[in-house]
Amino acid sequence: MSVITVEGLGKRYAGAAAPAVHDVSFTVADREFMVLLGPSGCGKSTVLRMIAGLEPITSGTVSIDGNVVNAVPAKLRDIAMVFQSYALYPHMTVYENLAFGLRRRSIEQAEVAQRVNAAAAKLGLTEFLKRKPYALSGGQRQRVALGRAIVRDPKVFLFDEPLSNLDAALRVTTRNELIKQQHEIGTTSIYVTHDQVEAMTMGDRICIMNQGRIVQIGGPLDVYRKPADTFVARFLGNPSMNLLKGEINAKDGRAYAHFAGGAFSLPNRTSPSLAQHVGRDAIIGVRPEDLYEAVPPGDAAQFARLRARVVAVEPLGAETLLVVALDGSNDELIARVGRDTALRVGDNLDIALDTAAIHLFDPRTTKAIV
Amino acid sequence: MQWGLQQVRRAPLVLFVVLYTVVTGGPLLWVATMSLRTTAEIFKDPYGLPMPAHWEKFAEAWTKSNYGTYFWNSAIVVVIAVALVTVFGALAAHCLARYNFRGNRVVRFLILSGLVLPPQLVMLALFQILLDINLYNTLTGLILVYVATHIAMTVYILEGFFAQIPQDLFDAARMDGYSDFEIFWRVTMPIGKPAIFTTVTLNFIILWNEFLFAVVLLTDDDKRTLPLGIMHFTGSHQLDVGMVATGLMIAILPIIAIYAFFSETMIKGMTAGAVR
Repeated sequence: MSVITVEGLGKRYAGAAAPAVHDVSFTVADREFMVLLGPSGCGKSTVLRMIAGLEPITSGTVSIDGNVVNAVPAKLRDIAMVFQSYALYPHMTVYENLAFGLRRRSIEQAEVAQRVNAAAAKLGLTEFLKRKPYALSGGQRQRVALGRAIVRDPKVFLFDEPLSNLDAALRVTTRNELIKQQHEIGTTSIYVTHDQVEAMTMGDRICIMNQGRIVQIGGPLDVYRKPADTFVARFLGNPSMNLLKGEINAKDGRAYAHFAGGAFSLPNRTSPSLAQHVGRDAIIGVRPEDLYEAVPPGDAAQFARLRARVVAVEPLGAETLLVVALDGSNDELIARVGRDTALRVGDNLDIALDTAAIHLFDPRTTKAIV
Repeated sequence: MQWGLQQVRRAPLVLFVVLYTVVTGGPLLWVATMSLRTTAEIFKDPYGLPMPAHWEKFAEAWTKSNYGTYFWNSAIVVVIAVALVTVFGALAAHCLARYNFRGNRVVRFLILSGLVLPPQLVMLALFQILLDINLYNTLTGLILVYVATHIAMTVYILEGFFAQIPQDLFDAARMDGYSDFEIFWRVTMPIGKPAIFTTVTLNFIILWNEFLFAVVLLTDDDKRTLPLGIMHFTGSHQLDVGMVATGLMIAILPIIAIYAFFSETMIKGMTAGAVR
């Protein structure tokens, strides 16, 4: 049982104008896999290092199972960490690397051997135990780094972008392997990454950070479907969400979104809920998968038709991305359509927009309008 | 043999290497031949070959001429000084490379400024200090002076190397439960082995040949180090060239041994970081 609670965590480096981490608070439940997601330099690794005890805390607290550990040195926090660079000791064999943390804890030689061998067997490293790290491939080194964490059976696992040094194919297999291991072991984990696919596939919950602050915390599909602001909206999803400048209007109790390329009603919104925003500017967000080449069968009234011209076609194999320019404005939208599309650059079409899947944001605060 | 373009192009380089070898290796070879000849033979024919070879001169130098004592004095002073300078130098280099403490820059500047001080400059002060603390004319005094004068270069070389060791390794060791000193001993030192061998070799060679401090700070014959002992053979009225040559050969043997043993790791240490 290990619960990590971070409260009002802040970090300011000496001489820096702005804090690197500002008022970060979240709780990771026992056996939960929490992902810290954000662009480079957003402070996610700094948060992880403060939890690990590798970085002094400027303000706020880190607690493990209710005990504040701010003053507890890293070696006594019973936390294992997997580093981006793997950080394998180059002068030790795989066996010694795995055993290094156990030896310090004065565990008997026989038990060390048993635990190292068990971890090695689990990760398929048995035949490499006598090798030094330089004689291993990237994927094998990654597994040794993971094994070094597993073998200690710590309260908490911390992962600092452990897959970013692997090539694309290996990253997918290692990711699946990591998910499998995590389900088997079930240790409370915090995983830092800037890769949204890793975050979406691995995390029980995702904590999205930007410029040293938490922007949103939630389940992978929750944050994808209900982004808290335009940053999350654009950061999650590939290609990212289309954002258009527009305005919200109301007529006869129904809400409408107006923009240079046209107007459509908002079926899921009632004018009372949008009352504050009626007559004001808004950012209209639509995901590429909510744009269709032709209205799909079903409730046709839910779809708005927008006149547009194809400016680029990007066939990706399983699907095709269309870049279209809306008539009457310079706005470009990216649509994810079927791979069989016959559209070519320069063709005109009435692109169908699922109005039920529209996101609205306040341009002043960039927060979602709910 | 056909001379191709490549051979012609390479000729100047080969010529340079041959000349360099003759200039550096020639005198060594000459001293080596003289070490097996008597002074009388040498004066008769300076460049003659050692026929017959007087191997007994080595035994004679070792026993009759006090070379054994000089050799052991040198060995004691140099081994202890190199060991101390390596341990303290490595500790200082580790701290300077790894920790961002207050005054870090000042400490680095003070230590490394030792690199630019000529030994003659500190000689008088050292002489007076050693007299005051009763360490003048003792091997302990000389050892302390050697450590103090060679720590700057040692820190300079080691810090450059240690700074290249990725921070993640130290963080990993901390997460594995190790204290700062254990990390120094079990991570920095083994990984820094090439650089440490480099400083050990360089310091050993330099201190083994060191003359200036030894001649000023030691006076008793039974405390002399090898370079002073050899000097002893060149008296004011006579010069036993043959014995000096034998002494020189005895003196350079440990250096050749050390170099042969460490040269590969030392070159690795000197070029580490140059190729990634």
